[in-house]
Amino acid sequence: MAQARAPAWAIASQSARFVLRERTVALLAVLFVALVLISAWLGWQATATVDRIYLDAAAFLQKTGQPVPANPVLDISPLSLMRNMSVYVALIGALSVIVIGNRLVGLDRKAGVLPLIGIRPFSRATYAAGKIAALAGLILILALISGGVAAVTFLFLPAVVPTAAQWAQLAGFIGISALYMAIFGLVALGAGAAARSETVGLLVPVTLWLTLTFIFPQLTANLNPTAAINPISALAPLPDTPFFHAASQILGPLSLADAYRFASAGLLDYLPPGMGSPAFLPPIADLMLATLFAAGFAWHALTRQSMAQGDYDA
Amino acid sequence: MSDPILSLHRLRQVFDGFTAVDDLSMAIPQGEIFGFLGHNGAGKTTTVQMLTTLARPTSGTATVAGHDICADPLAVRRAIGYVPENVRLYDTLTATENLLFFARLSGVADPRARVREVLDLLDCADLADRRVGGFSKGMRQRIGLAQAILHRPAVLFLDEPTSGLDPMGIKMLRDLILRLNAEFGMTIFMNTHLISEIAKTCTSIAVLSHGRLVFHDRIEAVTARYGDDTALEVLYLSLTPVGRLSEVA
Repeated sequence: MAQARAPAWAIASQSARFVLRERTVALLAVLFVALVLISAWLGWQATATVDRIYLDAAAFLQKTGQPVPANPVLDISPLSLMRNMSVYVALIGALSVIVIGNRLVGLDRKAGVLPLIGIRPFSRATYAAGKIAALAGLILILALISGGVAAVTFLFLPAVVPTAAQWAQLAGFIGISALYMAIFGLVALGAGAAARSETVGLLVPVTLWLTLTFIFPQLTANLNPTAAINPISALAPLPDTPFFHAASQILGPLSLADAYRFASAGLLDYLPPGMGSPAFLPPIADLMLATLFAAGFAWHALTRQSMAQGDYDA
Repeated sequence: MSDPILSLHRLRQVFDGFTAVDDLSMAIPQGEIFGFLGHNGAGKTTTVQMLTTLARPTSGTATVAGHDICADPLAVRRAIGYVPENVRLYDTLTATENLLFFARLSGVADPRARVREVLDLLDCADLADRRVGGFSKGMRQRIGLAQAILHRPAVLFLDEPTSGLDPMGIKMLRDLILRLNAEFGMTIFMNTHLISEIAKTCTSIAVLSHGRLVFHDRIEAVTARYGDDTALEVLYLSLTPVGRLSEVA
């Protein structure tokens, strides 16, 4: 006789399968993966070109008996080739996960099946756990694809051989990228469950994403929106004014896009020497704390969602 | 008379100052087909939502199959099946995929076998591999009934089950209800507007008016008192305030 599967697993697997079938979600996920590939290709192409020129020059210098300088490719950490990936995670990755989070709840509400789920013999906490597990699984897939692409890029660059510590740093970067995306996915889950209308359920996380990505960095780091999407210029020092010092201290922990940028730069070895996040909370701790808050919000909204309602109000 | 499988004690539900159900007390014995009559907005659906644990009562309590709806909602859910007024399912999935999902949520041990069994029982095996999105109201209602009996509940709640069905669909549903009651001993709690259906299907009825219970008795007692086949209609209209007759469907 077949074994009964746990309801949380049934909810998680059904929800994840459903969301993957949706065209908008698939399109955004494909776009994210494509950008990750482009990011890896750009890094690979730049490094391979410099390496090729160096090898030609070194051969010429050796032939003419001149001293051969060190390969410039080896002067920088191979991990920094992946710096563009942090921008794509912060932009398209977060946006994809917002849509995923919204749809994970929206699919039950729009289908009007909440009453049929609500009368099954499991608690609201089980339902919430199933939805959060589905979100975590889908984020993990996105993160693993990004990590896989980065790893393959390194394997195709013979001049660049990451050390064990650098592989660990790369894994750390993929981990915090997943954490960063999870914040938006969890807020989207919570807003989707709490909002009376589908539009508000989507607008809340999108507004939060816009605020954290473009508005807060202007207040805490004087970054205009175009600079905010450049991984290098986004790490410029703060203007030396009392306003920015105070704003970076007070609002810094809320400026999650900044925290993610500093954490990524640290892990991918492109943080300029002597530079660190001006916020009083270390970036990774900040992201962990934000994920916990977002998870709390999602849990609260999902466990208190009315299962009697069949659909959105509007 | 057997022990009550449903027992309501001073059940009350208030939404934003509006009392939807007020001081509702009654007991329904096991094996009954119970018809719950009332005008639009009388509080029938709210009562079912409380009994199925979808909504928590403002005050009062009830037991379903011996379990308190507030203290032990999970045990109540194990004992019940529910078909809402408008059966909504995942339109992009087939009937089997929908039923498999609900069977897994209900903790059914061998979901595939049970789904086949229920589809055969309800004589809708031909719908198994079709997407629900293309179903008529009658087909949807049958799959709705199928999802409600997957785990063989002791009590089946039906909210306006015949709403929007053609005469053939109504007859088919009536036959299914009678069969579930006779073959599996399921107690049926049915909200309805259709007095004629009550007469053909139910063993006892209650009438709710503006959230309050105004009548509860067995069908044979009603027909014996009024003496002809329009007895229920006469009774129902007599219990409905004259000024509210237009609300009666």
